[in-house]
Amino acid sequence: MSAVDGTTQPSGAPDALVGLRSIFWAFFRVGMLTIGGGLAMATVIRHELVLRRRWVSDAEFMREMATATLVPGAIAVNIAHLQGRRLRGTAGSAVAILGTVLPAFGIILAVALLALPYFENPVVAAFLRGCAIAVAGQLAFAAFVFARTHLRSVTSVAVCAVTLTVLAVFGVHPVVAMALAGVLGYVLAGDRFRPARIDTAPD
Amino acid sequence: MGTLLQLFVSFITVGLGAYGGGLVTVPLIQHEVVAVRGWLAAEEMAQLLAVAQMTPGPIAINGATFVGYRVAGLPGSVVATVAVLLPSLLILAALIRVMDRISGNGHLERARGGLQVGVLALILFAVWSYGTVVVTGWVELALAAGAFCLLVVSEGKVQPAIVILGCGVLGIALF
Repeated sequence: MSAVDGTTQPSGAPDALVGLRSIFWAFFRVGMLTIGGGLAMATVIRHELVLRRRWVSDAEFMREMATATLVPGAIAVNIAHLQGRRLRGTAGSAVAILGTVLPAFGIILAVALLALPYFENPVVAAFLRGCAIAVAGQLAFAAFVFARTHLRSVTSVAVCAVTLTVLAVFGVHPVVAMALAGVLGYVLAGDRFRPARIDTAPD
Repeated sequence: MGTLLQLFVSFITVGLGAYGGGLVTVPLIQHEVVAVRGWLAAEEMAQLLAVAQMTPGPIAINGATFVGYRVAGLPGSVVATVAVLLPSLLILAALIRVMDRISGNGHLERARGGLQVGVLALILFAVWSYGTVVVTGWVELALAAGAFCLLVVSEGKVQPAIVILGCGVLGIALF
C-alpha cells in the first residue's frame, strides 16, 4: 500500500476527517450484521454511511455504487474500497476492506468449527429459513430504492427493461449486460438518466 | 502445497468471474470446487453454500473461507479468501486512477447514467433468481412481503439486520 496523501483525496470528502478507527468499526458493524451478500449489504452500508453517520450524501453513494458494480468480486468489498478511499484515502480503503472481510472470515471459521452439526436441528433450520426469506424482501427493498432514484424517464425504464431481458431471458453474462446498459445510456442522451437530487430537492 | 496453490488459482478465477455479486459467485464456486477440482461432493457443496448465504458478510468471502477450510484447514481458508479478493482489489485500484484522470470530460458521466440503470436491472434479476429459490409458498411470500413493506415504510429507522433476525424468529414459529 502506498503512503496516505491527503491531497489526493477525491472531491467531496468531508471537511472534518473521519477517524480510521471509526471507519473500521462502521464497516465491521455492517459485515457483522448483514446477511444476504453484496447487494443486500449495499442497503445496510447506505444506512450506516448516509443516514446514520452522515459521512456521505445519498447522491455520492449511489454514484459510487455503480462504480462498485463495474468491477467483478464482492460488491460490499468494492463499496468499502471506494467509500474508505473517499473518507480517508488509501488507509481508509484498507481499514474499510478489513472491517468488511474480518467478521465474515471469523464467523465462517466459527461455524465450520462449532455450529455445523446443529444445522440439522429443526429449530435452527426454521430460524435460518426465516432469515433467508427476509433476505428476499431486503433485495426487493434495494431494487425499490434504486428504482425510485434512477427510473426518472421513459428512456431509463426502457434501458432497464432491455438489460433485464438480456440477463434473464438470454442469460447474457452480467459484465456484458452492464456494458450494454452503459453504451445505451451514453447513446440515448446521458442527461435523462440524471438521478433525482434527493438531498437537495424540496418535497 | 499443491492443494494451496490450486485453491489460490481456483478462487482467483471465482473472483475474476464474479461479476454482479454473491448470486453470481455461488454457481462459480460450485463449478470450480465440484466440477473442475472434485474437492467436494455436490451435496456437501450445496450445504456449505447455504451456510455461506445465511451467515453475515459477502457471500464470495463466506464461500471462499468455508471451502478453503474444508479443503485445506486454516491455511486453506486464508489462501482462498485472499485469492477471491485479489482481482477486484487490483482492478478497482487501477480503475480509480483512470477515473480521477478522466472524470472531468463528461463522457464517463453520460455512460454512468446507463450503468446505474444497469445495476438496477442486476438487482431486479437477483430479486427474481434469489426469491424463487427461498419463496416456495404463500407463508414465505407473506413473510418476504412483510419484510419488504417494513423496510419501505420505516426507511432509515428500522435496521435491516433487525428485520432479518425478526423473520428468523418468526420462522421458528411458522416452519
